[in-house]
Amino acid sequence: MHQFADWLSKTPLSLAIQTREWIIPTIQSVHIVGIAVVMGSVFMIELRIWGWVGRDQTVAQTTARFGPWLIGALAVLLVTGAVMVVGEPERELLALSFWLKMILVAIGTVVAVTFQRAVEQRDRAWETAIAGRRSVSAAAIVVLLIWFGVIVLGRLIAYDYVWGSWSLKG
Amino acid sequence: MDASALIAWLEASRVATAIRNSLYLFPLIESVHVIGLTLVFGTILIVDLRLLGVASTRRPFSVVAADGLKWTWVAFAVTATTGALMFVTNASTYYHNIYFRTKMSLLVLSGLNVLIFDLTARRSIYTWDEKPRAPRVGRIAATVSLVLWISVIFLGRWVGFTTSSQPATEPGVNLEQLENLIPK
Repeated sequence: MHQFADWLSKTPLSLAIQTREWIIPTIQSVHIVGIAVVMGSVFMIELRIWGWVGRDQTVAQTTARFGPWLIGALAVLLVTGAVMVVGEPERELLALSFWLKMILVAIGTVVAVTFQRAVEQRDRAWETAIAGRRSVSAAAIVVLLIWFGVIVLGRLIAYDYVWGSWSLKG
Repeated sequence: MDASALIAWLEASRVATAIRNSLYLFPLIESVHVIGLTLVFGTILIVDLRLLGVASTRRPFSVVAADGLKWTWVAFAVTATTGALMFVTNASTYYHNIYFRTKMSLLVLSGLNVLIFDLTARRSIYTWDEKPRAPRVGRIAATVSLVLWISVIFLGRWVGFTTSSQPATEPGVNLEQLENLIPK
């Protein structure tokens, strides 16, 4: 990984990003706006599952409203995240926080897509029975914690020393 | 007490010292700040898009706003608290930082924008609550809100990039931390 990060940091694209100081802060800001869209969408779907908001809407209606924004924002995050990796390969690829974050992002994305499909296919069952299950409410808490974890780990990339010798930066 | 004395007092406070002396507190406080601000902006965005007629258009504005904005306030309290903790840690640095000052000014403007909205468009809500988009004054308020909040996010990142005197960037060079390890 050290070799790959080193090679990536010397590619023309990476050098182009490195030499323009405004790019990284700008991309990071867009990245945060994207995270806000993800968090707002996830939060509203979770709150609907718990029955705390949007009781005039079915779970399927709530998911139809926020699901596409969630997926769209994830696409924006993938692109802006990729720019950050290319622009600062060592900062990202050698950080333990980065890889832990990627694992949580993968889990969160799979859960989001699977959930949306499940709700689309069994709209009425979700409304009458599934959403009320205690296991579903508990799963919603776990999903919210996964996205909180993504944010914490994302910020810890800048402070990867918190992991001590676990950090690949050594 | 003038401003600079207050700033110095804040920076010397026990809370500020404790955060500076910890390797973990500042990153964790910053993380919670990001969680809070994403929920603040995420929920505001839902309400603004409803005003603009972009999303949630089949639900009355009042219902969408009631669902979203109470969480905005909870998240804002978290964000403001963690923001205050970060501020006192390096109060003099932030106080003199132009991006920080601009960010605080835009937050005030954002509050004024809400006030203006409440005094204008919201007064006539019974005429447009169920319509897919708000009257022009409401749409202007929503646009102003989005521009201000996105600017606040950008400025916040610029504050981070221009205030390099963050605590303990390298564990090896944190002398205060080392001193604490020496038995007294």
